[in-house]
Order: sequence, then structure tokens, then C-alpha cells
Amino acid sequence: MAMRRATLGRNILVYAILLGWTVWLAFPLYWLAIAAFKTPLAMTQYATYIPWVDFTPTLAAFQNVFGKAAGLDPRQPFTNSVMISTGAGIVALVIGSMAGYALARFRYQIGRIDNDQISNFFLSQRLFPVAVLAVPFLILYRELSLLDTQIGMIVAEIGFGTPFVAWLMRDFFASLPREIEESALIDGCTRPQVLRHIVFPLGAPGLVAAFILIFIGSWNNYFLALVLTFSDAVTVPLFIQTQAQYVTGITPWANIAVITLVSIVPPVLAGLLLQRYLTHGLTFGAVK
Amino acid sequence: MSVSTTERAPLVSARPIRRFSLSDRHYKWILLLPAVLVVVGLTLFPLVFSLAITFTNWDLYSADSASFAGLSQWTRLLGDRGFLTPARNTVVFTAGVVPLEFVLGLMVALALNNATVGRTFFRVFFLVPLMVSPVATSFIMGRTMFDPNVGPIHDLLVRFGLPAVPWLTHPTWAMVTLMLIDSWGGTAFMILLFTAGLQGMPQEPYEAAKVDGASDWQLLRHITLPLLAPVMVAAVLIRALDAFKVVDIIATVTGGGPGDATESLTLKVYNLAVKGGDVAYGAAASYALVAIMIVFATVFLLATRKAVRRATGDD
Repeated sequence: MAMRRATLGRNILVYAILLGWTVWLAFPLYWLAIAAFKTPLAMTQYATYIPWVDFTPTLAAFQNVFGKAAGLDPRQPFTNSVMISTGAGIVALVIGSMAGYALARFRYQIGRIDNDQISNFFLSQRLFPVAVLAVPFLILYRELSLLDTQIGMIVAEIGFGTPFVAWLMRDFFASLPREIEESALIDGCTRPQVLRHIVFPLGAPGLVAAFILIFIGSWNNYFLALVLTFSDAVTVPLFIQTQAQYVTGITPWANIAVITLVSIVPPVLAGLLLQRYLTHGLTFGAVK
Repeated sequence: MSVSTTERAPLVSARPIRRFSLSDRHYKWILLLPAVLVVVGLTLFPLVFSLAITFTNWDLYSADSASFAGLSQWTRLLGDRGFLTPARNTVVFTAGVVPLEFVLGLMVALALNNATVGRTFFRVFFLVPLMVSPVATSFIMGRTMFDPNVGPIHDLLVRFGLPAVPWLTHPTWAMVTLMLIDSWGGTAFMILLFTAGLQGMPQEPYEAAKVDGASDWQLLRHITLPLLAPVMVAAVLIRALDAFKVVDIIATVTGGGPGDATESLTLKVYNLAVKGGDVAYGAAASYALVAIMIVFATVFLLATRKAVRRATGDD
């Protein structure tokens, strides 16, 4: 009986924590979702919580944002973000997974540097402060006329994505069986054939996960865009921030809410669909 | 050297020795080299370039061309009281969010580990903040929820007869608001790490302890937490380094204000180098930021190494 009581008490505590955290996570998302359906005026008067009860939902903000008479036009930022995240994602995936494969299958020994050290070196890039690279990028891009261009942003994002993919894919390829590749090589396959017919199909889930991680990272990146773009190549996070920052006068909250809502849907959907493959990358390998 | 012919070669080559084919001795380097070049070109070269700039007086918006200035940027940095506030803000922010997210993350992860019904739903839903950009989080929470006039938090406080809180306009409260916003996303990372760590735990110590009649609390205190120590160290280190370079939340919610009460080091570097054009000084400041982070990471890892070894019994 004492045992049962203890279990019950523990369950109450467990579910109190879980439900409490769910509410704390869900409320801002709910608040964003309803904000997108409020009129601009409703956002500036008083707090309202439930559609059809204390406010009437409207598509006005969606029409403002995506209609023809756009006060603030998010189409260019969205196009930029899609191009930059996709372009950088693909290039980083190709170059990074090539290196990841090489680190998983070949042995390197350059002086005292071996595979583990190359791999850790790649990973260490991820924790580096962007600020220290922002200044030289700003100067170099000014000289090369790459400031405020999509291609400039793609190149910069490739620099962040590639080493991370290399580190991530090394672990992934190392977990694939080596024997199939070896017997194919013995049978006379060339390395490119092995890569194309064996490694690529077997590695597909890892490659997709790596692409999603790079895509989300670059989609959500703010500081790089802040430093390297100002009008033509502005990305969605920078666009939201510049619209939402504190200014006196009327801020079009409902319109920004629509843009924010649309901007978080792609990464959240991709992340949730592939969540089982993302854990290793999201935890930086801290957990095996 | 012709890669294309090799690719088109039949699966089983007619000739045992292919004179123009590339062997693994080559592929080993062909596969690795592009990534190395990317890192050298897009990270190492800019880093060296940035270090070189710190010894000049380069100013983007100055008509004079840059010239060698020796260590003057560095001596200027050491004597610059303007960095005291951003440095203090950054340390306060980091020292605030990391323990907050650590405790919350551990609580939620332990609850998740003990849950039976709906476990998958909670586990997946708790990952959502990792996919949402900090700018989006900051807009939702900082600009609308914590709004001093029409935000729901103010509204609910007033409805329950509680005093209004100057969430964004009071220096201390503004920092607290930023910490709360950061913990929305940052805790998700802690939960993910701790959950993964808890799932990978061996079952034997628990079974043995249960036979001996250990209570839930004793299991947690003497088995779970010690075994989780290595993950805890990694979680704290990664989040601390991340929090130390905070900028997006601050730029969106307070812009560094009120006054300079929430200006972080990264924001300061941006204001100096990008907005102000003083790239030489900004570069020096950004290097100081890296130096602090490296010192912190080294000291932290050395300080925790012994504790982790003792906790996990690896000594």
C-alpha cells in the first residue's frame, strides 16, 4: 500500500511537470497563431485570448502580408532564405559528407594528427563565436562586392555547415557495415561505384538528417545576415527583427505575426518528421 | 587523371590493371580535401586576416587608408571602460540562463523518463523550440507576450491583482525577461541531452539497489545523477558557450537597452565594427571574446574532470 501511494505521488509529480512544461511551450505558439488572425487594431488595445469568444478572427493580416497592397513585403526575404538555406545546405552536404565518409573509411596520420583530431577540429567550428568571423567577412565581402548578395550568404553559410556535416557524417558512415563495401571492392568495383551504389543508398537517412540540420541552422541564423546583408539579400530572421524592434509609432504586430508563423512552419515540420535522426547532431555527439 | 572514365568503367573490369584509374590512395585525399579547403578558406583565412587587422587602424568609414598601428588596438581595449558593462551583462546572462535551463531541463527530463502515458508525444513536442529561430521566439515572447500594455502576461498579472512588472523598461527586469525568453529554447537542448543520457543508462545498478531496498530518492541521488555527470558537463559547456555569444534575442527584444543595461559583448562588437565601421577595434574585441571562451572552456573542463571521474567511478 505504501508502495502504491509512493508510485501515485510520483506519477502526479511527473505529470504535473510534463503538463506544466507543455503549457509553457505551447502558450507562445498559440499566442503567435492567434495573433496572426487578429486585426492590427486588436493587437494594440488589450489582450484577447480565444477566437470567437473575445475577438473575431480575420484574415486581414494575411491579406496585408501576401496581398498586393503589401505594406511590408516578405516575399524577397523568404526567397532569399529559401535560396540561401537550400544552396548552402546542398553544397555543405556534398562536401561535408565526402569528408565524413573519408574520415570513416580511411586512416589519416599527418604527424600527430589522426582521424579523431580532424573530426574534433571540424566539430569545434560549431561552437566558435560568429562575431570573430563577421568582421573579416564584412571587409572581404566589401572588397569582393559580395555584401548583400545571396551568393555571398550562401558561401558564408557553407563555411559554417561543411565542417559540421563532416563531423556528423563521419559518425554516421562509421555505423554502416564496412563489409558490403569491401566485398564490392574485391569484386572489382571502383570507389566511385561503391559510393554511388552502396554508400549513397545506405547513407540516405543520415544525409537527409544532415541536410535538415544545416537547413534549419541556416534558416534560423540571424547574426550573419545582420552583418552581411542590408536590403536585397535580407533573410527572414533579420527581416522579422528589423520590423519588430522597438520603434515609436505603430508597429504592424499582426503582420509580423503572420510572417513569423509562416517562417517557423518549415523547420518545425521538417524537424518533427525527422526527429529520430536528428538527436545525434543536435546534441553535438555529447550522447552516444 | 580522368575521373569520368573510371566512373564509366564496367562493374568488373576486363583488365586487372587499370593504368588511369584512381586508387584509394587518391580518393582518400580527393574526398577529404574539399572540406579542408572550405575550412581553410572560410574560417582559418578570415581568422588570420582578422588577427592581422587588429594591428592596424582600419576604419571602414574613414577617408584615410589603413596603416600599421602596432598593439594600439589591444592597449585601447584593455583600458576601455565601455566594455565593462557589456562584459558584465554577458556574464550575468550566462550565469543566469545556464543554471536555470539546467535545473528545468533536468526536472523535465527526469519526469519524461518516468512517464508512461504519452511519453512519445511529450518527447517530440519538447523538441519544437530547437527548430524555432531565436528571433521568432523573441518576437513572440519579448515583443508581444511581455508587452507592458497589451501582452497577456501583464494582463494576467493585473487580473489576479498582482503588481505590474516593467518587463522591458527596467534594467534588471529587462535582463530577467531576456533570460526567460532564452530558457524557452535553451531548456529544450538540455532536455534533449539529458533524455538521451538517461535512456542510455545501464539497468544493473538500479536492479541491485532495488533489491537492497533503496528509495526513489536514493536511486536518483546515488545512481542516476552520478551516471549523468558526463552529459551534464557537456550540456553546461555547450549551453554556456552558446549563451556567451548571445545577440539575436537581445537585438530583437531590447536592442541592448534600456540604456546599455542588456548590451552583450557580441552586440557591442557589432555596434563597433559594423555600425561604427571601426573594424580594427571590433576585430580585437571579437578576439578577446574568443579568448574568454577558450579560457572558460578549459578551466571548466579541468575543474569538472575529476568530479566526473569520481561520479562515474572511472578513476
